[in-house]
Amino acid sequence: MTDDLALVERFLRGRGEDAFRALYRAHTPALYALALRLTGGDQGEAEDLVQESWVRALTALHSFRAESALRSWLCGVLVNVRRGRLRAEWRIVDAPEVEPLAKGDGPDDAIDLERAIATLPEGARDVYVLHDVHGYTHREIAELLGIVEGTSKSQLNRARSLLRSALP
Amino acid sequence: MTGLPRETQPDPALEERLVSTLVAAGLVRRRRAWPVWVAAAAAAGIVLTAGVTMLRPKHRLAPGRSYAVLLFEDATYRPAPAGHDAERVAVLSRWADSLDAVGKFERAGRLTGPGPLGGLFIVRATDDADAARIAASCPFTQWGGHIEVKRFDE
Repeated sequence: MTDDLALVERFLRGRGEDAFRALYRAHTPALYALALRLTGGDQGEAEDLVQESWVRALTALHSFRAESALRSWLCGVLVNVRRGRLRAEWRIVDAPEVEPLAKGDGPDDAIDLERAIATLPEGARDVYVLHDVHGYTHREIAELLGIVEGTSKSQLNRARSLLRSALP
Repeated sequence: MTGLPRETQPDPALEERLVSTLVAAGLVRRRRAWPVWVAAAAAAGIVLTAGVTMLRPKHRLAPGRSYAVLLFEDATYRPAPAGHDAERVAVLSRWADSLDAVGKFERAGRLTGPGPLGGLFIVRATDDADAARIAASCPFTQWGGHIEVKRFDE
């Protein structure tokens, strides 16, 4: 936390390349992991998301508040960039009909789970990834996604139920 | 919690692409293209310390551009006998004063730490040839060592 604040202050002093690279290296692996899950494992789209998120984050970095963790703030930026893109593409964020999940056939439970997460409907996937994988609370998710906590909880239940039926 | 990894390393090329994008957007300032010797000095932990560093120009600078006159205390350099460092500083200061009188002296510094680079003068010269003439007039090489001149951009 203190390290993050020092990195942010160092960057804001001169917007130097080295200061940015330090921020990038500290937080991009988490952003990329999140982006990969939100895009269903599409590496190209995940890299685009990470890139656009950093552009947005640097534009707004002065508004970062020290009381929140920088990583959570950055992940929030990424989630919102992702949702903005979905809206721009006129895609339906919450798929009304749930498609049956493909049964995983890999030997590794984690691979099965990753594959199953990728097939979740967008809304349920966002909440599941943020809550069960990245450790966000329903309150934080509600703030990030602009939904009420009850919706976050119901989406999580929905996601878990879909995953239970999909996993061997 | 799922226990799935919360971090994944992206392709290293992403960092370079992103930095270029951010520089182009004016959100990040590109690292200065310092001469190699500055990077080497930084890597070696060399710091500017007092010594001839106290020299400051007293006269208005002549037109031209800045050059770094770098003093290398290499294998041929003969260090001052113990207690005689000040005499060498005085000799170099007089040389700096003579440059200053014609508006060609900007500042000077002593470099300490590993490596042969022992000091530098930032001087004002009309062109590369003028800078070379100034460097050739520096009394430093009477003690051995050698001098290199580089264009210096702030």
